[in-house]
Amino acid sequence: MYPSLISVAVVAYICAMGLALAYLVQRQDLVHRLAVLATLAGWAAQTVSLIVRAVEGAAPPLGNLPDAIWVGVWVIVLLQLLLEHRTGVRVLGAFVLPIVVLLSLKATTTGRPGMLAPALASAWIWIHIALAVIGIAAFVFNFVGGIMYLLQERQLKTKRPGAFYYRLPALATLDRLTFRTLALGFPFLTVGLMLGALWARTAWGSAFTFDPLAFFSLVAWVIYAGTLAGRAAGGWHGRRAAYFAIAGFAALVLTLGAGLFLPGRHGS
Amino acid sequence: MPLFVAGLNHRNAPVALREQLAVEEDKLRELLLDLQAGDVLREVVVLSTCNRVEVYGLAEAPGEARAAAFRHLCRHRGVELAVVEPLLYTHLEAEAVRHAFRVAASLDSMMLGEPQILGQVKEAFALAQACQTIGPHLHPLFSHAFNVAKRVRTETEIARHAVSVSFAAVELAKKIFAGLAGRAVLLLGAGKMSELAARHLVEQGAFPIYVANRTWARAQDLARALAGTAVPWDELATALAAVDIVVTSTGAPEPVVTRDMVTRVMHGRRGRSLFFIDIAVPRDVEPGVDALDDVYRYDIDDLKQVVDANLRERAREAQRAEALVEREVGKFLARQGDVEIIPTIVSLRGRLEEIRVGEVKRTLARLPEASPETRAAIEALSSAIVNKILHAPITKLRESSRAGGGRSWGDLVHELFGLGRRA
Repeated sequence: MYPSLISVAVVAYICAMGLALAYLVQRQDLVHRLAVLATLAGWAAQTVSLIVRAVEGAAPPLGNLPDAIWVGVWVIVLLQLLLEHRTGVRVLGAFVLPIVVLLSLKATTTGRPGMLAPALASAWIWIHIALAVIGIAAFVFNFVGGIMYLLQERQLKTKRPGAFYYRLPALATLDRLTFRTLALGFPFLTVGLMLGALWARTAWGSAFTFDPLAFFSLVAWVIYAGTLAGRAAGGWHGRRAAYFAIAGFAALVLTLGAGLFLPGRHGS
Repeated sequence: MPLFVAGLNHRNAPVALREQLAVEEDKLRELLLDLQAGDVLREVVVLSTCNRVEVYGLAEAPGEARAAAFRHLCRHRGVELAVVEPLLYTHLEAEAVRHAFRVAASLDSMMLGEPQILGQVKEAFALAQACQTIGPHLHPLFSHAFNVAKRVRTETEIARHAVSVSFAAVELAKKIFAGLAGRAVLLLGAGKMSELAARHLVEQGAFPIYVANRTWARAQDLARALAGTAVPWDELATALAAVDIVVTSTGAPEPVVTRDMVTRVMHGRRGRSLFFIDIAVPRDVEPGVDALDDVYRYDIDDLKQVVDANLRERAREAQRAEALVEREVGKFLARQGDVEIIPTIVSLRGRLEEIRVGEVKRTLARLPEASPETRAAIEALSSAIVNKILHAPITKLRESSRAGGGRSWGDLVHELFGLGRRA
């Protein structure tokens, strides 16, 4: 039952992505409703699969990186449903769901290196992983908001309204989206990284020995911290904030890539 | 009796002729009553706007009915029928239904998606209703057409994007600022166009409004008219720093707002966007400001370009609307077919039921000691036979009437089963 639930979720997310992209092109209410329905169905299946996994393993389903990514997908989809409902930005799915599908495929087809070594298992390590996952999920929206901002700004600056001019929301809306998701993700990422460092000192005696994933996540943190400071102090916003959102997300992608493909404390 | 529409519109008839043929309400009432009294038309609605004159009707001979209607109209308006006749188009049955739906949904209008036509069709319908020239055929046609028009408006974006320069400017402002509530506007110059644009912005909640003009008195006049504040001309830079949207329409030969000026102003705005709507020719805002971050500048040509794009967008949406109309035409015809064939089905069923009940009664009379079970079994048996026999013919009747051939099949069934003359 457990693997088939995962397949149901992945297939539902793929359908939802197709429908969301079709909605971006066609803008038919029915297509949008179906996309939301497929997303909900996938999320429900995934929720059950996660519960089953947690009960079977008698631990949070976060014990290795692919598992953590799979939980990240769950958080992203939840945020997608909530944010779309709250902001009324109906084209959000067309931008977020491709990322969801990519991550899902990566998480569900990568071999599982097994659960966390018992020596590492402690409440703190779970909180470290959970906070980092939530933070990263929020930054997915920060990234997507930045991309949409740049597309819409380009339309308005070139004065040649094309498909995106009609379909994307106002610049002010998009700027607010990138700012809010930054403000949401940053505390999670910060505390998550701090816990990781504290844990590393307890477990290995030093807070920051070189680990590829930790290194790139620190780079991402610096970028986000800089953007937040710039927003608060320098009135940064709009295009500059959008560029930084993309740069920060690039660092996060490298973080995940490092964890998945390079040897290190997070990967093995 | 076939449904038809005959008339002329902006596509084939010159405006001078359309003007001549346009009929006002009392005359229209007279025309409707005369036409119905004339015995050629069973039901009739006349739609008369500045872009079209059309007669919707139900007539045994649509050609005759069309000639009668337009002979009448031409006599009335003093136009030669020979002038009008070659311009007339006629659509029958399904074509007429499609035409009615397309007209109401403004797919046949000069400006796609314009909102007036639906109201005009509704008026024509109401007038015909008042004159009692509407019956069981045109009534469902028009109610369905109103429905289609409403769906086209809500389900496609055919009427969404602005087709005038001033509304296009307002839409652009919304794409920059999201809501316009509480956005400050500065008017430079007191032209009619800028006043119009300002009024549109105010309708969307823009506030406060500042007006600057070289002539102080005119600035004050316009400020009063818009419930805004007049600003002295030499405080332009200060005003620019405080507002979100600037509408310029001065007659100045040189740009009034220079790139240097805007560069300085943007410094103090902490990234708040500034939107210039420059409707002056020659332009009031230096095009160089385009290179500045968070500054958006649209001159009259840019706005026209946006309007063109909006028109193309409407045309794209019109294709979706056409598909919707097509589906609705199908639905309407299917329902009409059912309406036509249902009396036949009912009388056929009635006839067989009558036979069955009679035969069962006679059989049971000959079996006085039959148990209640036997009686029930005989009832059930006879009902089952009747239903099985009826199943195929009724399905066939429904299908053929939906495909448009219901009449001949209906006649055949009436004839075969001796159901009496059809209504």
